[in-house]
Amino acid sequence: MGQRLDSAYKKQVLSKTDVQVLFSFYTQDNDHSAVTGGIGTENLQVYSPQFFINHQRDSFNTVHIDGGVDIISSASTDNIDFVVSSASKVDARGHTNIGYSRLLHDKQNRVGGNLMYSIESDYTSRGAGLNWSKTSADQSRALSANAQVFFDDLRWGRFENGKPIKLIYPEELRTKEWFDSHQRNSFNFSFGLYQTLNKRMALGIYPGVSYQTGELATPFHRVYFTDDSERVENLPGSRMKIPLGIQLNSFIGSRWILRSYYRFYWDDFGIEAHTLAVESPIKATRVLTFTPFVRLYSQTKANYFKPYKLHDINQQFYTSDYDLSGFTSFKTGIGIRYAPFNAQHYITFKEVELRYAYYKRSDGLQAHMITTYFSFGSQRKRK
Amino acid sequence: MNIMNRKLLKYCALFVTALAALSCESVKPYQRVYVNDSEMKPGQPGARGFEESVQVYREGASGGGSSKTSGGCGCN
Repeated sequence: MGQRLDSAYKKQVLSKTDVQVLFSFYTQDNDHSAVTGGIGTENLQVYSPQFFINHQRDSFNTVHIDGGVDIISSASTDNIDFVVSSASKVDARGHTNIGYSRLLHDKQNRVGGNLMYSIESDYTSRGAGLNWSKTSADQSRALSANAQVFFDDLRWGRFENGKPIKLIYPEELRTKEWFDSHQRNSFNFSFGLYQTLNKRMALGIYPGVSYQTGELATPFHRVYFTDDSERVENLPGSRMKIPLGIQLNSFIGSRWILRSYYRFYWDDFGIEAHTLAVESPIKATRVLTFTPFVRLYSQTKANYFKPYKLHDINQQFYTSDYDLSGFTSFKTGIGIRYAPFNAQHYITFKEVELRYAYYKRSDGLQAHMITTYFSFGSQRKRK
Repeated sequence: MNIMNRKLLKYCALFVTALAALSCESVKPYQRVYVNDSEMKPGQPGARGFEESVQVYREGASGGGSSKTSGGCGCN
């Protein structure tokens, strides 16, 4: 009898597909645009639909693809030529990422690679990455390493002419070629250690190092000097960045989770930054979760930053881009997540989340972010 | 943020790390119901990724567990 049962046993392979769709909206405003030398409108809206697909073919092979479009309405880029026109005000950015990973036969090591591409009217980025992760046999520890390279081209003209033509400088500064290169290359290495500490706590440690080389200034950013002269922004040809992030997630009681995160960041532009973020998901019911969150951030200014008309003409490098100024920022908001249990269908609706964030920077920049997130899954037996 | 606040942040991070290290204990598979909860996932899962991208553009710092480190101008 037992033998008959054993011979009837047939190993089945399950393939799983997860699909996530995001619709995001971002709006900001302030009067410190780098396009106009640290003064002028920064009014910006971005509509950003995105999708992510993960297909697990069997226990070992996983394919990933994601992509999206950012539709950008920017008042500041309209000031490159100081001629207000809807044609130059609206831009779009398309991006995609295709990856494959394989779980090795020891069922602990996973290796993978991915290719990335993004395009907008004044920018193209080609990227590639390799990743490795190892999960301990008891699932209590995961180590990961990730290497990425990006090769970016800052020339304008892809949407209008079908190919990149030239760097775009502010209209009144087009009498000479300010930059020798139109390339920007990035090399990023990141590592992760995720350790389960006890039944309710898990700790993640994320060190990294990133090196950028090439043209790191933006060709249409103006800088005004104390003697009333004007030039295109100029920054050093390389930048080293070192971040270290620590995440501690704790399940408190039966319904309350505390996600806390701290990051230290240093780079050789002179920026030192600290980030502290706390999220507190509260499970109101088995399917409904409310997540209030707050994030505090501070950074010192880059050595090359000065506001409008405060740069000395004898400086080698200069920028009036307030993203590189010294400031503090504050973000707060709430997420609402609905995740029903209905896995019996071929295609399963897994969850929907609505998230709103308000962002304020000490230089006056204010922003609002709204994201709607849908997640679906399907599972089927393979022969 | 002044130097005192920065020191305070560093001490907070050290305190949290030390507290976590002291709490370390073996967890059996059947005891993983809390640590396997979707809200306990590491990184920036779900709808959080978009905000992370925006912050990379609007701030000087990036990386350290965040999902995005390059691949776009962000110069608007």
